[in-house]
Amino acid sequence: MLLDVIQCVESGRFVIIQDSVQCCGRQLLQSFMCAALKREEVVHVLAFDVAEEDLRVPSDSGCAQRLCFHDGYTDPLGWNDSPPLTVLQFSPGEIHALLSRSEHPKPVTLVIDSLSWVLRHHPPAVVCQCLQELRRGGAVRSIVALLHSDLHQQGIVGSLCHLATAIVTVAPALRGHHTVAKTTRRTRSGRVTQEEECFIIKEDLTVTVQKQTHHPGQRDTEQEEPQADPAAHLTFNLRLSEAEKEAKDKLSLPFVFSQEKKSALLQPRPGAGQIIYEPDANDDFDQEDPDDDLDV
Amino acid sequence: MAAPLRSGIGVGSRQDTRAVHGTSFQKKSRGKLVSIPGTRPSVQNGQLLVSTGVTSLDYVIGGGLAVGTLLLIEEDKYDSYSRMLLKYFLAEGVVCGHSLFLGSARDPPEEILQELPAPVLDDIGCAAGDEGQAKLCDSEGEDSMKIAWRYQNFPKVQTALAASSRFGHYYDVSKTMDPEMRQASKCNTFFLPDELPLKSEAEPSTMNAGYRALLRSIQNLIHREGFDTAAPQNKSRNILRIGLHSLGSPLWGDDICCKESPSDAVSLTSFLYGFRALLRSSLCVGMVTVPSHLIQNRAIMGRVTKLCDTAIALESFRGSERETNPLYKDYHGLLHVRQTPHLNCLVCEVPDTKDLAFKLKRKQFAIERTWVTQVQDRLPLALRGDPQTPPPTPVRFCFAEKQNTSDHFWLLRAFAQGITPQMSVH
Repeated sequence: MLLDVIQCVESGRFVIIQDSVQCCGRQLLQSFMCAALKREEVVHVLAFDVAEEDLRVPSDSGCAQRLCFHDGYTDPLGWNDSPPLTVLQFSPGEIHALLSRSEHPKPVTLVIDSLSWVLRHHPPAVVCQCLQELRRGGAVRSIVALLHSDLHQQGIVGSLCHLATAIVTVAPALRGHHTVAKTTRRTRSGRVTQEEECFIIKEDLTVTVQKQTHHPGQRDTEQEEPQADPAAHLTFNLRLSEAEKEAKDKLSLPFVFSQEKKSALLQPRPGAGQIIYEPDANDDFDQEDPDDDLDV
Repeated sequence: MAAPLRSGIGVGSRQDTRAVHGTSFQKKSRGKLVSIPGTRPSVQNGQLLVSTGVTSLDYVIGGGLAVGTLLLIEEDKYDSYSRMLLKYFLAEGVVCGHSLFLGSARDPPEEILQELPAPVLDDIGCAAGDEGQAKLCDSEGEDSMKIAWRYQNFPKVQTALAASSRFGHYYDVSKTMDPEMRQASKCNTFFLPDELPLKSEAEPSTMNAGYRALLRSIQNLIHREGFDTAAPQNKSRNILRIGLHSLGSPLWGDDICCKESPSDAVSLTSFLYGFRALLRSSLCVGMVTVPSHLIQNRAIMGRVTKLCDTAIALESFRGSERETNPLYKDYHGLLHVRQTPHLNCLVCEVPDTKDLAFKLKRKQFAIERTWVTQVQDRLPLALRGDPQTPPPTPVRFCFAEKQNTSDHFWLLRAFAQGITPQMSVH
């Protein structure tokens, strides 16, 4: 499912990559960026955590045109004059202004590295509202964000993940050098699927899934068990051959009238054959007034 | 449930509905029925009840939702089933002809309204009188019957009362409701990002700006449309169903979900207090969903539960270790009834069992009891066998406990349980 999430093209999605100090999720973020560029999407990156060089993906010239970096690393709090991007500019209006400065009119994939830095400087409720506003507006098509889950309280991580359509949690595998990704995906109809996979990222930032560990909660739609054939193991024959079926259909039942007589009888007649059903047995109306014998 | 000050109302006064009377005295009226469609009086305490849209939930909370009360639903982890319950509630309002109000901060209310499930109609389609007699369907129609053909033109059930006065309907979740049916009912919406700019001036108040705007909007609507009991009694009355999605989530501007000691801890509780006061004085029913799994401070959740009348919690198995448990394979989650109200009476309606599990089927949201919940969870793993067999007789354990000052009580208890204690001194 990790590959599905990376390649998903529906609009309005919000992917959170949760990592921790044991396992860094930045490479996975870069592979998301790479996949989006290969799909001819315009990618804007808000880089707060690391410098631009560490976040660059190897890409050809066409892709490089569609990739737009906003450097929030050199001067995040605006101490010098004219900083390229400050963290205080993380609000819907400012981000829309940033995105409209680029010349591509298409909807944008916004990559945020990382949300933890933003959460340090803005209240979490404001960050949630801002992200929701960005998703709703037409300018941003999808958001992919990195979140360091061990830097925040449980509640903040939970609230952000509550908004997300897909959450990928990376952790080191117990054996070997792989990383394990636990993916939770939620569709609009409310269906939730989860999967745990071992993956590896190659040099060109493509992700290959090595093998799948146990599925912690994956449920398919209900599968009906094949109905046991009741006529199977009997000492007598219950089945009908084709000729017998035809004869059965042709048999005319008693009291089956011809078509003319039927339609004559089906003509509406007042008060004939009405099915009246009184649904509520508690609704019995007591005709006698219990106060009749009071002396008032 | 409204106007509790009026008492001693004369026996002959029958001009308004029972919701307005303060006492629960019910005179058995001759002929004249309750005039609001989709409601019925409760058999326990005479309150006017509306259906929540899910007939099994109506049964669990005591027959239905009383007019003027508030139902709290604690959301499951991914908000799939609580959203479904909200949609059932609104769909029931559409079918019964009630007015609707939907408040949401996350999804636009129009989207939620477009996803309402379609009712399973067997008699509602022919509610417009007995026009069935004019319908001479050709016998090659799909419901032409071979043997009972005399009845093929009649609808399956034809009630003596109007069709929409049936209490509780069934919905097919695989289909969405017809837009015409939805537009026939009056629906008001409140979507937070449209109502106020994100950074607004802060007036001094216990509620935050979002809740204040929501409460004001509801109050204006009630007053404008005449749902409050102070309105003149001449026009026909209707019920207003108010559904609020995901109150308390950070999208409403509230941070009780984010921090253990939130800066704005009383905002949601103040809102609920004001909201319930509005409900009590008008012909309205409220349903609120709260993401309680995100709320860090349990005291806040306790206050929220106390401020609502009926409270249930949904716990979905999706994503938890219980999903692969063979005991729960028939169900989608557990339903906990946290609170039921005392409405003008001394006892409240409690369901006869606390072990309830739910399953969302296509045409029904089924809530059933499950006896295995408590028992099997407490047995050690080696003893949990086939779920079909009854639990084994209790096994006697021998244990060694540290001697302390209350060891004579420990001894007595051990002997009473028939356990031979092995004492060891630490």
